[in-house]
Parts: sequence; structure tokens; C-alpha cells
Amino acid sequence: MNSLYYIKQTALREWYRMLHHPVYLWSIILPPLFCIIIFTSLMNAGLPTKLPAGAVDEDDSPMSRHILHTLDAFEYTHVIAHYPTFSEARKAVQRGEIYGFYYLPKGTERQVLTGRQPTTSFYINYSYLVAASLLYEDMRTISELANGTIKETQLYAHGALPWETIPRLQPIVINTHPLGNPWLNYSVYLNNTILPGVLMLMIFLITIYSIGSEVKEKTANNWLQGANNHILPALIGKLLPQTALFTLMAWGCMVWLYCWLKFPCQCGISTMLFTSVLMVVAAQGFGIFLYSLFPWMRFAMSVASLWGVISFSISGFTFPTMAMNPSLQALGYLFPLRHYYLIYVNNALNGYDISYAALPYICLLIFTLLPLPMMKRFHNAVTQYKYIE
Amino acid sequence: MKTSLFFIWKLELQRIFRDEGLLIFFLLVPLAYPLLYTFIYSGEVVRDVPTIAIDNDCSPLSRRFLRHVNATPDAEIVYYATNMGEAKELLRKRLAYGIIYLPKDFSNKLLSDQQAHVSLFCDMSGLLYYKSLLIACTDVSLAMNKELQISRMPDATSREAQVNATPIHYESIALFNPQAGFASFIIPAVLMLIIQQTMLLGAGLSAGTDRDRHQPMSNSSLVSLIGRALAYLTLYTATASYMLMVVPYLFDLPQLAELSSLLGFLFPYLLAVVFFSLACASFVPNREAAILMFVFTSLPLLFLSGISWPKTSIPIGWKIFSWLFPSTFGINGFVCINSMGGTPDEVKNPRIALWIQAIGYFLFAWWRMRKNNKKN
Repeated sequence: MNSLYYIKQTALREWYRMLHHPVYLWSIILPPLFCIIIFTSLMNAGLPTKLPAGAVDEDDSPMSRHILHTLDAFEYTHVIAHYPTFSEARKAVQRGEIYGFYYLPKGTERQVLTGRQPTTSFYINYSYLVAASLLYEDMRTISELANGTIKETQLYAHGALPWETIPRLQPIVINTHPLGNPWLNYSVYLNNTILPGVLMLMIFLITIYSIGSEVKEKTANNWLQGANNHILPALIGKLLPQTALFTLMAWGCMVWLYCWLKFPCQCGISTMLFTSVLMVVAAQGFGIFLYSLFPWMRFAMSVASLWGVISFSISGFTFPTMAMNPSLQALGYLFPLRHYYLIYVNNALNGYDISYAALPYICLLIFTLLPLPMMKRFHNAVTQYKYIE
Repeated sequence: MKTSLFFIWKLELQRIFRDEGLLIFFLLVPLAYPLLYTFIYSGEVVRDVPTIAIDNDCSPLSRRFLRHVNATPDAEIVYYATNMGEAKELLRKRLAYGIIYLPKDFSNKLLSDQQAHVSLFCDMSGLLYYKSLLIACTDVSLAMNKELQISRMPDATSREAQVNATPIHYESIALFNPQAGFASFIIPAVLMLIIQQTMLLGAGLSAGTDRDRHQPMSNSSLVSLIGRALAYLTLYTATASYMLMVVPYLFDLPQLAELSSLLGFLFPYLLAVVFFSLACASFVPNREAAILMFVFTSLPLLFLSGISWPKTSIPIGWKIFSWLFPSTFGINGFVCINSMGGTPDEVKNPRIALWIQAIGYFLFAWWRMRKNNKKN
């Protein structure tokens, strides 16, 4: 009973503290809000379309013009310029004006007509990987289609009937089924993990900051006395208002993603709302853990920021973990965002039963409870350590 | 108190080396972070994505298709499932990322001149899985299609069949990143961003410390500003050279830069970053607040630079917003010089923009410092 009273007292104290330290409230609200707005509006289109490409048409024949017109009509490609020579097109690529170009050498059409198999080529700048992959798809398709058109004409000339030609041109067809994200929407693919990642990063930092600033401002004793020097109620009471605010931010983010933007959420939003509460407390637990480990606010915050930023890469939602060095695959377990990502994929994206995500849930729980065995050290850290300038 | 430029320069450098918080951001992060980052992505590409095959046909043709998929560098068939339920269960356990389904009538249809459909189901938790599996299946289907077409021209000579099956030969050339690797694509951008973000954090911490102690370094704000800028420039000449020249070399990333063009571009970038950092630092209310204010900006700035999300697809409002940050121009210019072997001519626009930023942020930082000094 007493504990509850202490928690309430400390929570109230913390609430007033937050109102008097604007940097707190701002850091809880503004960075996540800014990231939600910027990332979802930046990738609002889902997939980049009309990427600028060029053409070097040395042939300038009806056939080459037809190929380029068709390419321009494709979804991802926008042929913005024709260049007289190869090297001018290459320079345009280097200036960043186009991501790639299609090259048709002189005599392409004549060689096709005389059966001498000309070679066309496309050059794509893979320094911009996303744009390059999309252009590659279009340019490869147009090259196949150009072949198909010629073969179709030949088949007709041999007396094939319309329904006979298609199976001969393309005997094996690949039907693709991208599960859960059939639009290949980049916003769905990235923002579902980036935004919680930003939130977690801020939670690490604020948790450490709020504890460290008590030491810095020499109010730590006052804080602990509010809970009659019981460290656990004092800590829970202190972090509770932040938990509430961060949970609100996380829920706002989930509602924005799954209700407003209609991102796939096959498990229903309540599961994700529950998961985000767990995510918030796991991140707070990790923050306390770092502070207990390194009881200097500045150092703990530095470690937390490096940890938080690296988690975007190591959690494997952009570059898969399976392609990383095995040591990094193991290291990934130490990042709460990795577990959140696995839970999101299992629940929201794929709609599998929650039991398949048991391990990541347990890991998040472990992060939440991580500070418990370190309470004694933590107590010492806030009562005995001094703020080092 | 009148202080000389050299004094401020020395003081700031001394402070950096005496303060472990500053040392982390000014030295440790620039030295260690690039190595860790590059190490994460050094696999470059995803190979052998684990895949499940369901072969309902069990014919020589279907087995041939799957064998060829297995032989591609992109996919590896780790399980042969008997039905969809079994395959889906493996997918749920994340033991594989895709299912290739060959229907019962696969070879029947092919042999009777009809189209056969192969279904590819792919887990979309990462787009690279999908990309790898799609490329593997497409490559194999195109190659087998060609073989089938040739086999249907019994009276043609081999050359004739070749030409008829592919009237126009085509080839794809990957410029500047021949393996289409992830590290070669993202690391140059990350390196440039680390320069800006670490300096931003370092300058912010340093300014916040002054604010905590209620002491301006010098009454003459211009001397103080330039002195600090020189100190940071001195430090970053060393760390930036390490980051941009040694790190790519260690991990065999593309390095086509000519030294003179690189230096001619880096100088305005560092200047712009220094004054940008000092300008932002003037808003930092206390020491630790710098970390709260600046750390989270790294990821949005990376996306705003247009390196991953193409810049032509960035809404115009955000594009203009991105021009406020040196990293936007720095990243694109560095990628051009370093990865694509661009000459100063090709990076003229970003270079001019960086000079404008350097001058603009210098004036802004000066104005802010004067204002802050007056308050004190």
C-alpha cells in the first residue's frame, strides 16, 4: 500500500518537474512527431515513379524510337533527355540528372531486319540503389518486349494464330505474390520500423536525462525522500508520467499508420497498441540499465544515442540480418528495435499467430526487467555519484 | 578581456581533449562508427535467400526449373514441401522467406504449347528477399523459355535458332557499383553524414557547457567564433581524411575520386558544416540537451539527401527544407566525386550551394553569438 502511495507522490513530483523543464516535454513530443510527419509524407507515393532516365539513340530508326517511347510510358521510367553521344549521357549520370540511360547503337534496326542480332545495352547508376533497381526492372522488360514483338511478327508470318503466339513467346510465366505488401510500398516497408525506432531512441535518451538531471541539479535526494528512500517505487513513480506520454505518442503513431494511412495490420490494431506499450517500457528499462552501468549522464546518453542510431541498421529491416556477419547477427539480439521489428512482421504485416513471435516478446520483457538486478548499483549511482563537468 | 584567435583555438582544442564527452563525439565516433557501419553492410548483397519449393508436377522439366533456381546466386531451396500448409508453416517460423509453387500441369502445358504458371510467394519483411527471389525466378524462366523456343525450331541451324530466339541481344551494365552492393551505395552517404552529425553534437555539447557555466569564451564574438571554427576544422581535417579516404579503402568500396577534386569539394563542405554546427549550437540551453536535440535528426537527413529515396520523388516542400542542411549537398557531391569519379565541373552546383551555406551560417552564427553575449 505504501509503495503505491510513494509511486503516486513521485509521479506527481515528476509531472511538475516536466512542466518546469520544457526541454523534457519538447523532446518527448517534437522529435517523434517531426519524424512521423517527414517520413510518411516523404514516402507518401509508396513507390518512386517517373525516375529520370536518358536515351542515346544512335540508330534513330522507327524501331529505336518506338522502343524509347514505350520505355517512357513505363511506370518507373521517365525519359527526360536524348543525348547525342555515350559520354554526354555518362556525364549527365555523374551530374545526377538521370539515373541511367538506354543505348541503341547505329544500325540496330537494319541488323534486326537482316538477322544479325544487334546488341543494345542499358547503363544504370547503382550509386543510387533504389532508383537503379526500379529502372533496371523497366529497362529489362522493354528489352524483352522488343524481342517479343519481333518474334511475334515472325510467328504470324509463319502462320501462327493469335492464341498460339503468346504461349510460344513466353512459355513459363512467373506470377508473383508479395505477401502482406502487394504494392511493394516503401512507406509500409520502412516506416513501420523507422518510426518506433525514433521513439525508442528518444525514450533511451529521456530516461537517462531525467535521472541524470536529478544528479546534476542535486535534487536526487529530494526525489528519493519523496518515496522514503525506497528506490523501486521512486524509480517507477518517476518514469510513469514519461511512460504515459511516450505510450500516447506511440499510440498516436500506430493510429496514424494503421487507421489513417491504412497500412496493413492483419492482427488488428489492439495487438499493436499492446505491443507499443511493451516497446515503451522495454526502451525505458534499457535506458535505466545503461544508466546503472555508466552512472555518468553524459556518457550514458552518448552510449544510448549510438545504440539507438545503430539499431536502425542492425535490426535488419533494410539490409537483412542473414547477409551480415554472424557476430552481428548475434549482436542484434541486444537491440530492442530488432525484436519490435520481428513482432511487427509477424503480427501486423503477415498476420501470423502471436505465438510465433513469442521469443521477441520475451526478449522485450527481458529488456523491461533488465534494471531489476542492478537496483543496488542504481541506488548508489543516484545517491553517491556526483555530476562530472 | 581581449583574447587572440590563437588562444581561442588552443583553448577549444584543449577542452576537447580534456573532456571525455566531447572526445566521444569529436574523436571516438568519427573513428569507430564508420568501421562498425561498413562492417554491418560489408556483405553488400543478399545471397542464397532460403526458399521452399512445392513441386506438384515432379517432372523432368519442373525439377530442372527448381535445380536452376537453386543454382542461382540469389536463391537457395532449403526445403521441398509437399503442400502449401507445410510451406506456410516454415514461412511462419522464418526458416525461409519465399515459396516457389509449380502446379501439377507444369510440363504438360509446356509440352502442349500452352503457358505454364509458376507462383512465387514472398515474405515482405525485407524488400531485398523479394528482389533476390524475383531475379532468380525471372532469370531461370527467361533462360528456359529461350531453350523451349529453340527446341521448337527443329529445322533451324543452331545460329539461326539463337538469332530467332533473341533477335536483339541486350546487356545491362551497372555503373559505379558493379555488384549493386548495399555498402557501396549507403556508406559514402553515411560517412558524410557522420561528419556533420558528430560536429553538430560536439559543438552543441561545447556550447551547452559554456551555457551551464554562464561564461562566454571571449567578449569579442567574432574572434571566439572563428577561433572555435578553426579548432574544429583542424580536428576534422584529420578525421574527415580518415573517414573518406581510409575507410572506403579498408572495405574495398568504390573510390574513383581525384584528390584535387575531392579536396576542392571537402573544403566548402567542412566550412559549411562548421558554421552550421556553431549556429545550431547557439540554441542549445544546456550541455546534455544537445544530444536530445540533434541525435534523432540523422535518419531524416539521410533520407532528405535523396540517396535512398530518389530526390525526384521528394515532395518539393521537403526538397527546399533539405537545402538548409550541408549534408544534402555534401552527400550528393561526395557520391559524385568518390563513387562516380566526377570532376569539379560535375559538382559545381552542390559546391556553390555549400559556399553559400558556409557564408550564410557564418553570418547567422556571428549574429547569434553577439546576441547571446549581450544577454550574458
